[in-house]
Amino acid sequence: MDQRAYLWANRLLDNDPGAAALEVTLGGFALTFAIETVVALTGADCAATLDGAPAGAWRTIRARPGQVLRLAFSATGMRAYLAFPGGLEADRAFGSASGVARDGLPGLLGRPLREGEPLRWGTPGRIFPNRFVPAHLVTPAGDEPTLVLPLITGYEWPEFSEADRERVFTEEWTVGPASDRTAIRLDGPALSSGPRTLDSSPLVDGTVQVTGDSRPLVFMRDRPTIGGYPKLGGTDPIALDALAQARPGSPVRFAPAGPGALRLAMVRRESFFGITRPTPQA
Amino acid sequence: MITFPGPASALVTLPVAPDREGIARVLSLERFVQESLPGVRATIPAFNRLLVDGAPSRWDPAEVTRRLEAGARAALEAVPETPRAATVSLPVCYDHDLAPDLEQVAAKAGLAVREVARLHSERTYLVLATGFAPGFAYLGDVDARIATPRRPSPRARVPTGAVGIADRRTGVYPTEGPGGWRLVGRVPPTLFEDAAERIARFTPGGPVEFRAIGRKDYEAECS
Repeated sequence: MDQRAYLWANRLLDNDPGAAALEVTLGGFALTFAIETVVALTGADCAATLDGAPAGAWRTIRARPGQVLRLAFSATGMRAYLAFPGGLEADRAFGSASGVARDGLPGLLGRPLREGEPLRWGTPGRIFPNRFVPAHLVTPAGDEPTLVLPLITGYEWPEFSEADRERVFTEEWTVGPASDRTAIRLDGPALSSGPRTLDSSPLVDGTVQVTGDSRPLVFMRDRPTIGGYPKLGGTDPIALDALAQARPGSPVRFAPAGPGALRLAMVRRESFFGITRPTPQA
Repeated sequence: MITFPGPASALVTLPVAPDREGIARVLSLERFVQESLPGVRATIPAFNRLLVDGAPSRWDPAEVTRRLEAGARAALEAVPETPRAATVSLPVCYDHDLAPDLEQVAAKAGLAVREVARLHSERTYLVLATGFAPGFAYLGDVDARIATPRRPSPRARVPTGAVGIADRRTGVYPTEGPGGWRLVGRVPPTLFEDAAERIARFTPGGPVEFRAIGRKDYEAECS
């Protein structure tokens, strides 16, 4: 969900940018190492410890056999990422190692991990010197009081009333509790003027759709390919990383944006992380 | 009409009906895009629309717009090609306990239940869009006499393989989940066990036919 954190975790280990890593939602996770290895931890702050001593975050962690890496419940943010040298061994479907239980897509196990299950990765013996992400590049998740999502208007935007179109950029919403990897649902003012009957239309990551309850939702990484409710446009794909870390109740606003500046930021990211094909779904 | 739902994405809406002819024209635009637009990463055709997703570093908005407009003009002028995809043929059992809405559809149409099943299974459909759930295809168009609007409120659980009708569309639920289409038959759920096969079964523009099978054959396929 937070591609930036996922990409950094793999980069710290010189992994392929699409290497399979673990997404740990809300923390509450422990791992016992069977071999000496190095892992990388990024994303939500889960006060990680190695055998009880603070292990830090946005850095590599070197562990000996028998040591236990523990992630507490996250204090800020929603999702931490744990990468392994060479990437986790996972089945790929349609180019992605991301498991989706609902759709029977395999990934690691096709479901969340259970206690006692083993993990295997590509180059278990590879050892690195310690590395970390420079502090000025780590924006602590959930730091901004209000998350501002740049919105490129499109789709059925002209068919919403003028009042609703103004409301999109003046009102504030909050991240709803029913949010998941498919979509972040927003609670707040209703936008009820969109067209009612539509044929489903293709989506991209970040498409903003106004569903039956008249509230906007933002499609995330496990989204379907098409959606049948009226849409306001698309958010900045890079802003989805911060949205993925926003906890229920966090305030969200939309700001008008043009595609040009957003595209430049994507070009910079893709070149920095060496992405030459669509980003695998983190 | 072209809108831009993302920094390196374009959505083209062709001024055509979202039917067989519409999807054929969208597919000819898709071929044009794949052959002549550099840096395209993905295309999603659905009904009368085509989404084009490109590599940000190779996306020049003015150039993309110019080419998409030219492609759309060509797609609208040409005689739409008939799809070359292989026909997907699915066995369907129309027995009443596997088709809870069949009687209602028949009553609305003023037809016998057998006649609804015959009309549903006698024509070859075209995939107008895939999506909703991976492996779901919107197929069209059903005979106007059996076109029926969605149920006023969806069912919480529609079984795998259920065949539904919504207006002029028909489709098969690939996994169990909520759904509001009128259920008129069932494809043996064994055909949906393999995830990769299930998800890759339908391609937009591909022809699909339903073969009516009796209860015995259905049970045999299920075991």
